[in-house]
Amino acid sequence: MFGDKYCYDMAAAKEVRVPEIAGSARSAAFAPVDSTARVDAVVRRLTDAILLGLVADGEQLPSEAELAARLGVSTVTLREALMALRQRGLVETRRGRGGGSFARAPREDSLGVPGRLAELTVEDLRDLGDHYAAVSGAAARLAAQRSLPSDLAPLKRTLVAMAAAATPGEARRLHGRFHIEVAAASQSARLTQEEIRLQADIGALLWLPHTTQGEDDEAIAEAVERGDGDLARALAERHALAAVGHLIELRLRYPPEVRHDH
Amino acid sequence: MITKPDTATDAVVDIVEDVFAALREVRAVTERLRPRESGDLAALRMVLFERLGGLIAGIGFIAAPGLLRDAPWFLEWWQESPSGPVRLVRDLDPSSGAFYDYTHWGWYADPASGAERTVCGPYVDLLCTDEYALTLSIPVRVDGTFVGVAAADVFVRRFEVAVLPVLRGLGSPAFLVNADGRVVASTTTRHLTGTIYRGGGLPCGDLPLALVELRHGLPTMGS
Repeated sequence: MFGDKYCYDMAAAKEVRVPEIAGSARSAAFAPVDSTARVDAVVRRLTDAILLGLVADGEQLPSEAELAARLGVSTVTLREALMALRQRGLVETRRGRGGGSFARAPREDSLGVPGRLAELTVEDLRDLGDHYAAVSGAAARLAAQRSLPSDLAPLKRTLVAMAAAATPGEARRLHGRFHIEVAAASQSARLTQEEIRLQADIGALLWLPHTTQGEDDEAIAEAVERGDGDLARALAERHALAAVGHLIELRLRYPPEVRHDH
Repeated sequence: MITKPDTATDAVVDIVEDVFAALREVRAVTERLRPRESGDLAALRMVLFERLGGLIAGIGFIAAPGLLRDAPWFLEWWQESPSGPVRLVRDLDPSSGAFYDYTHWGWYADPASGAERTVCGPYVDLLCTDEYALTLSIPVRVDGTFVGVAAADVFVRRFEVAVLPVLRGLGSPAFLVNADGRVVASTTTRHLTGTIYRGGGLPCGDLPLALVELRHGLPTMGS
């Protein structure tokens, strides 16, 4: 279902060896990243760790040298990743005595996401991805066929706001809004209502920050603007599947202690 | 008996003008109220409730940001429901990250920049109903200063019910397009509501709507 290009790119094989005991998820967050992984992979790993509360809000991260060593990346790569995390407000760096890098968890994420994710099985998530890809793909295709420049103005405003978003929470809301606006440009009230329901239901999970999200959104907007329905659909489907694929990876990596089935 | 195209456009104008007549009433009352606080607008409700129904699924006054002392962003907006008029209550603070900076929407921006009558849509209305709708609006001014808009939502499906008999009377496939070329209502599957038609049509009075009639499969007006 997830082509390797769109798959969460941390070596999945490594993760299955992680014993499922308390505290293991935390050490998994700092497990070595394979040598081909770049800044994005580090950003994603640390983002997940912070949003999922594996690193507590306000907790000091290990020194750059130590963290780079534990993640198996160069300090240059790590510094770039930390810069990206600072821009997203997930890490704060203080200079001087008692300085260092500190995790900054947006409260809503640190409380809401792991609980919500734990309620869903991998199969639930896979099915959710199928539904979401169908809705957003169809909406993007119709938007490309039917939208006029005036319909694209809100999308573009949202992309600009997204690029300037101060917090991950705000960026996530804007992502949701972007996808609802694409759906509205399809001229289909039903597809729009479905997209709104999906965003309300799982938006907080779906838009856990991804490094490629903003670029995906811009590519979708461009395809819609050019009137390329097939491309818009392909991009939107891929985007949805990649986002859900990321959630499945998270779900597999950080299993909840117990799942109560009915 | 086959309707002539200009009789059809006149009939469309009558249908739409009825909604604008309601908006002019809303405007007249608002201008008399000279609203300074959100509570002042409660006096509008009688006229809003009277006009709600038929084509009009939602109607109200949308204040220019900053007009009201107690509410920088404010709609006195009422919608139909099976149990009577329902007030739309929304957190309108755009900083809460939602859709609610209404100054971007055409139904607000156009009257704010001088248009006397605006027909916006059809579009999926994300602010109020998530329905496919037309929003009609006119500017409201106090002492020559723009203070907001009087607006009404018309669901496209109801508009269709109102105008389809007119279009059918023409005897050949026909449809209405808005100023952007978006089909609003149609009697042909070749040009369905929501799609784009890139050609001209017969204007419906001075409304931003045009009638396209297909004779032998071809438009009768320039294209």
